[in-house]
Amino acid sequence: MTLPMRLRAVSRSNSFGLLIAIALFVLGFHVFAHGFTSKVNIYSITRSIGIDGVIGMAMMTVLVTGGLNLALGAIGVCSAMGVGWALQTLGLPVAPSMLFGVVLGAALGAINGLIVVTTRLHSFVVTLATMSIFFGTMVLLSGSNGFNALPRELTGFGRMRLFGMVSPLLLVMFAVAAVLFYIYRYTAFGREMLAAGANPFAAKLSGLPVERLFIWCHALCGGIGAIAGVMASLRNGAIVPSMAGPLGADWLLPAFLAPVLGGTLLTGGAVSVLGAVLGTVFVEVITSGLYMLQIGEFWIQTALGLVLLGAILLERGRAALALARSTRR
Amino acid sequence: MPRYLERIAGAAGALLLATAPAMDTDVKVGLVPGGPHPYFANWEQGAKDAKKDFGIAAADYKVPAKWELGLQNQLIENLTAQGYNAFLIFPGDPVATNSPMADLQAAGIPSIATAGCTKDPTPALFCFGTDTGHSAYLGAKELIKALGGKGTIVHFTGNLVDPNTQLRMDAVAQAVKESNGAVKLLQTIADIDRTPQEADEKINALLAARGKEIDGIITTAWLPAVSSATALRRIGDKRIQMVGIDHDPVVLAAIKDGFVHGTMLQNPYGQAYIGSYVMEEIVGHGCKVNDKAPFKSVALTNRFIDSGTAFQGIDGVDHFENSMKAVTAELMKTFKATYLICP
Amino acid sequence: MTRWGRLLRADWIGLAVLIVAGAAALSLARPEFLTPYNIDVILVGFCLTVVVALGQGIIIAIGHMNLALGATGCLVAVAFGGSMQFWGLPTWAAVLFGLLLGTACGFVNGWLTYRSGLTSFIVTLATLSIFKGASLGITEAQSFNGISDAVKAFGSDRWGPLPEMLLVAVPVVLATALFLGRTIPGRQMLAYGGNPNAAELSGISRARVVILAHTLSGLLAAVAGMMTVARLQIATPTIGDEWLIASFAAPVIGGAVLSGGHFPVAGTCLGVLVIALINQALVLLAVDPFYVQVLLGLLILAAVGANRLREARLGTGPTLRLS
Repeated sequence: MTLPMRLRAVSRSNSFGLLIAIALFVLGFHVFAHGFTSKVNIYSITRSIGIDGVIGMAMMTVLVTGGLNLALGAIGVCSAMGVGWALQTLGLPVAPSMLFGVVLGAALGAINGLIVVTTRLHSFVVTLATMSIFFGTMVLLSGSNGFNALPRELTGFGRMRLFGMVSPLLLVMFAVAAVLFYIYRYTAFGREMLAAGANPFAAKLSGLPVERLFIWCHALCGGIGAIAGVMASLRNGAIVPSMAGPLGADWLLPAFLAPVLGGTLLTGGAVSVLGAVLGTVFVEVITSGLYMLQIGEFWIQTALGLVLLGAILLERGRAALALARSTRR
Repeated sequence: MPRYLERIAGAAGALLLATAPAMDTDVKVGLVPGGPHPYFANWEQGAKDAKKDFGIAAADYKVPAKWELGLQNQLIENLTAQGYNAFLIFPGDPVATNSPMADLQAAGIPSIATAGCTKDPTPALFCFGTDTGHSAYLGAKELIKALGGKGTIVHFTGNLVDPNTQLRMDAVAQAVKESNGAVKLLQTIADIDRTPQEADEKINALLAARGKEIDGIITTAWLPAVSSATALRRIGDKRIQMVGIDHDPVVLAAIKDGFVHGTMLQNPYGQAYIGSYVMEEIVGHGCKVNDKAPFKSVALTNRFIDSGTAFQGIDGVDHFENSMKAVTAELMKTFKATYLICP
Repeated sequence: MTRWGRLLRADWIGLAVLIVAGAAALSLARPEFLTPYNIDVILVGFCLTVVVALGQGIIIAIGHMNLALGATGCLVAVAFGGSMQFWGLPTWAAVLFGLLLGTACGFVNGWLTYRSGLTSFIVTLATLSIFKGASLGITEAQSFNGISDAVKAFGSDRWGPLPEMLLVAVPVVLATALFLGRTIPGRQMLAYGGNPNAAELSGISRARVVILAHTLSGLLAAVAGMMTVARLQIATPTIGDEWLIASFAAPVIGGAVLSGGHFPVAGTCLGVLVIALINQALVLLAVDPFYVQVLLGLLILAAVGANRLREARLGTGPTLRLS
């Protein structure tokens, strides 16, 4: 079996199950959770999906290497603050400021990659340290003062409602997903990253520049993280250092949850862009729905965990059943 | 829910609301803190009492499951979809919380920044809470007074990512500066308001290493206050004076037993009680906020109303809740006349 | 002994030298560093973190992870405190209750992971949410302070520089080391972590290994949770929030391999000490709060980097495989 074939098989089963689960939950919440399918709520869900989806995909690009990036949130916040600085302090127009932010994010990501590759330390320790360094430097430089005079075109974009209920941030996520899908599926670069992640030894032996590819993976992660940082700022209407919690650690949950639910392997070498998108949708639908059901607020996390677990187990059962059927035939 | 659809449709709802005749509307107040935190537990009681006393349709305490900005915003949106039409919000971030408030305003739903302020320009009707900087300043002054005007103090405070932390640090520095060199600020430890374990480790490390040099402790965040009180009790040290913040039972017990000099009480009960009342008047009975009212100016906003800060020493520490209610009753006497214009 | 002994030594020395040098430098800069009270403070931190780190370590040994470690500790802490405050349980009964609860949580993780065939990452992420939510639900974000005096004394008392908590932490460390190194189930775990398929082929039961490892992890989380309550003298639902990163950082700094098969208990202890020392230094040297985070990161990087440099010189470090 070639890698892409295996990949396709994995993502298909997983994504299919997620799709069914999403459909069922949407239906269920529509019936039982008052206001779930109201325009306000759909808008809120699509916006969250947009942001968390991009966060998840950022992490996915580095999960490819079999490593991870704990500093993702810190990079996202640092880059967004960089955009704010470019806009407000330097007075640059929107486009170059954005570019600056994405380059900054990619550069910070590349620093992670560079340290990982040269020291051979596990990316866990490296990014644990850089999370502290990046975030601490940002707080030091900014004094925790956010930027709240964003240009009108930006805040307007963040507030826009397509068809009265869809956030444009969702479209940004689709754009990022499409680009990543294209890279992993149709470019030599993408396939090389996957091959290097699946088995660095073999890749090295077959002549791939594994180290350089890994640095690229980390840079890609940083760049996408920067986009997510700007998106989160658009939701907030301001760029603030607290948007991802202390050290940017609030992002870690959505970052890992979506790709792993969607079938991306933590051991590296396999991704599912579609799966990551569906994973995000799934999580956001459940979260929003449970809030609407008015379970006691303090118990909502428990409910979320139970539903998540139940849904995954059911999906697992379905997949096993499907497999058993297909092998019997 | 036709009423709420109406409200979404009419972006000019705010205008409508302001000019609406005295028409009785069911008021549903949502009280949304930044995340689960013991400080806000008194909100629930305040809201309940207000609901009973003023006949509000609903005044519900709704906590985001985690201390996360995105989650708080989402919760506010969800509550809006469920028909809540007035909000008391603790700003998860002084700048960023303006955004959900602006969304509410666009839908004709008023909000009050409660327990903490949003930064001007803000859609909040006003900020009703503790002036964090001023409270830290008063606390430091109390501490210096207890030390007899001279000595070496340390400051334990909250997370640097919160701009309020800088305000508190500045305020303590200001109080120290006013002593003209008689008081020295030995060290500030920040970023210890996330988990008690972290606070415990750092505070004990400092006390172990430099305890002999330290005469006084000022804490300006909940967990550091609890951890320092516990640490002082553990080493049995009554020489070091400490002024804490808030009303955690641990801090209050330490005051009673003489390990802690006192604490800077805030008034979460009154914030919820009066805030809910204001919403009933505004949304239910067509009142408006009086723009010419004597608002205070604080670092973040020019429309600030102090919900009351009081130093609580050993006297009456058993009945601190009464002092909260007394402060609340005092505020209530003049509140409507001072801050609201009613038809 | 030979292979095992050599491995241990390889993990040890770099960190040990680093710790000694760091402690020496600190005590020169600040003589108060060596006072009994201060050593007690460091050791208390060590006791709490080492149990947490081993709780994760036993899972790392089989190549899994337990994201719910902190949440388990939190739930146990809250139940432990609550059972004393509201049910009036005597201390021993509350401890027993806590241990049972933690073990049960761990068992659920293990059983679900085994039966579902999902990665432990997903399973424990879900149970993390469940346990954490339950802790918040039970406490409504308040803290319980009806902790018995015996428990409070256990968290505070010390003999000179030695905290009483060592009475729990040291046996836990020794037991874990013996278990993984000398007992059959322990060795089976490491074998399974090294190569699950080969281990299963050689007759090691996957069910037993997975469920046992997770159950033990839950047990250790319970121990750590109750020790934290003893130390803080309150049971709050924020206990355990910072465990996750520490629980991975200490073993990884100590030379553990996240893919399983090898777990250095001694190295993990030293990893815990390195982190404790760094935190201590940042307080003792009165670092400006705004620089603390930056320095913390740089020091962690320097510490593990120095260790790696030595390994590279000896040629013992991992070569290309980066995980």
